[in-house]
Amino acid sequence: MSPDVVAAVRRLGREGTLTPAQSGLLGRVAGDELVSVRAELRLLLYGGVLAVMGGVGVLVQQNLDRLGPVAIAAGLWIAAAAALLWALRQAPPFSWGSAPSTHMAFDYVLLLGVLLTGAALAYTELKFTPLGTSWSHHLLAMSLFAAALAVRGDSRVVAGVALSTFAAWMGVSASPLERAFWFSGDAAGAVRLNAAITGLLFVGLGYGLVRSGRKAHFEPVATHLGWLLVLSAILAGIGDRGAARLGLFVVGAGLAAMAFWRGRFPLFGMGLIAAYIGLSALVVAGVRDAAFGFLWFSATGIAVLVGLLMAQRAMRERA
Amino acid sequence: MRAEAAEAERRFEVREAARGWHRAGAIGDATRAAIEAAYPDDRARLGPVFRVLVFGFAVVAVNALFGLFGLFMAEAFTRSNGVPLLFFGLVLVGATELQVGSLRRAQGGTEAATAFLGLCYLLGGMLWLVESARLGEAAWINLALVLVVVLCAVAAYRWGYMLFAAAAASALFPLLARGPWGRVAWVIVPVALVPALLRGGDSARLPPSHRRSCQAVAVVCLVFLYLAVHLGSWDLGLVEALTGVWRASRAPAPFRPVFAVATALVPVLTLAWGMGAHRRLLINLGLVGLLVSIVTLRFYVHVAPLWVALLVGGASTLGLALALRRYLDSGRGHERHGFTAEPLFADPERRSALEVAASVASLSPAARAVERPGFQGGGGRSGGGGATGTF
Repeated sequence: MSPDVVAAVRRLGREGTLTPAQSGLLGRVAGDELVSVRAELRLLLYGGVLAVMGGVGVLVQQNLDRLGPVAIAAGLWIAAAAALLWALRQAPPFSWGSAPSTHMAFDYVLLLGVLLTGAALAYTELKFTPLGTSWSHHLLAMSLFAAALAVRGDSRVVAGVALSTFAAWMGVSASPLERAFWFSGDAAGAVRLNAAITGLLFVGLGYGLVRSGRKAHFEPVATHLGWLLVLSAILAGIGDRGAARLGLFVVGAGLAAMAFWRGRFPLFGMGLIAAYIGLSALVVAGVRDAAFGFLWFSATGIAVLVGLLMAQRAMRERA
Repeated sequence: MRAEAAEAERRFEVREAARGWHRAGAIGDATRAAIEAAYPDDRARLGPVFRVLVFGFAVVAVNALFGLFGLFMAEAFTRSNGVPLLFFGLVLVGATELQVGSLRRAQGGTEAATAFLGLCYLLGGMLWLVESARLGEAAWINLALVLVVVLCAVAAYRWGYMLFAAAAASALFPLLARGPWGRVAWVIVPVALVPALLRGGDSARLPPSHRRSCQAVAVVCLVFLYLAVHLGSWDLGLVEALTGVWRASRAPAPFRPVFAVATALVPVLTLAWGMGAHRRLLINLGLVGLLVSIVTLRFYVHVAPLWVALLVGGASTLGLALALRRYLDSGRGHERHGFTAEPLFADPERRSALEVAASVASLSPAARAVERPGFQGGGGRSGGGGATGTF
């Protein structure tokens, strides 16, 4: 409850700024007489999807011998089909623009259907190996299937899953925990290269979506994930080579400048932090002196602060 | 809290509400402009991204500056037992006062950074001083907790940061646990404080940030109440462990069923209270507590295999959410008992971005193994579309 907003609604209603109908509804919401539990219901739906997928994982692991592979595969395919059929029946009419579903559970049941299909496909491939040595292509097939459903159902959540499945096919995990392993291992260099290529593909996809005007509202999903992969790939290599430090600075600065120009705040933040880490790694690694390090971080920290405040003012004036 | 800062907060709250109304289409451009003219904002504020960046770089700059001083005056620092930390902390507190006072900054990142660091340096300096007095471990821990409670509470009162209030409350309970009746205190204090705190959270006399602080402290109190009566915490002797005397002062075994019942009852009562009083905070807390209690039940009583529990639990949750939504939607004006499943004035874009980020972070499939050049391996196995590849 916000007593200040309640008082303001009363005052605005008295002064005629708000109509009686407006002040009635707004006053009820501000005074907690009418409470929306939509966020809680969505959280329940999301938690339900996670629990079901967790149950499917444990079921497959623990009951393989008892139930047999055919029964498990059939069960997974039937469950996936049921979820997808329900979702497609509730889907809004197709549009290349934004077409959100009117049913609150649509996104989550569609997501459940996609995840169950992924599990069924992976299980079928593992047990019956229809793709043979090309087994990893099931990830590509899954990402394309998820992308198609995301476009059909206008679901950004499923679009995110499609992109991260494509990244997995490229050998890159979009999960932050697994990304930590890029820093080491024999194949780290190859994974970083794949991550950078995948990231650039996603950035290109985002650009294409906006240019074509088709599902342009999916662009932030692709662009943010893309730049995150590109910058993480370069960042993962800064311990090995000076070129990676310079690369991180140049790419980060370029991204920050472009994002500043276009008013894209999250991208601006990502670019600025990357550029700062790259430049600091270049300078501080070259001069191994604690006093210089402290001086560098205090001076540049203040300089960036001043720059940020000036940039914010410039952005506000431009808006 | 300064009167002019409190007034600015109240006006900002109305402006933010108007922004939500406008976004949801409840009011037009002219009405929003009229509201913003009636409730002007005189504070220098930043958007969320700039605020986080400014906070981060301010923390880097201030700490590096202190490190630089420390490097040149290392010997003096060591001999003076934390006095330079205290001095630096006081300077930062002064800087915060200047910013929220004559510079009229709010949600600007820098004042939050100097407030946070000022508190940390003051605490560090005081603890260093206390350490040099060689009071013994138990007395030092008690004094440290008292200092955290007092300093964080004063900072929350003065500057209105909810996190400081939550930190003060979080330190209060370990302090209470160190007394002779720790577990009892963890029950009595929340039961006595929470109703008053929730009333404070609605009070028109308090500025919005103090109201939010009251709610944050109420949440911390309820979490510790649940911990006090939780069966697992009883079995592990969690509260008693904080005294340093493991399982020393627990009640006899016949009391154990009381804890089992309380583990189930506290979340249900919290949920019922939240629904009766129309408080989303209590509803959310009750739901989380209920989930923890169900997990606890599964831990103690193996009613079914894990996969059955997860599948049935997940499907029931989905079904419950759908049934609730249908029930609320079928009411007059899409509402029942003062609840609705309609979004009202929430920001759908922010929620959608969070959901996408959570899905990518938690549902990403395991990556295909990438072979290093010249290596001919068999590759790995992985799932797709969220499968983990552990079959």
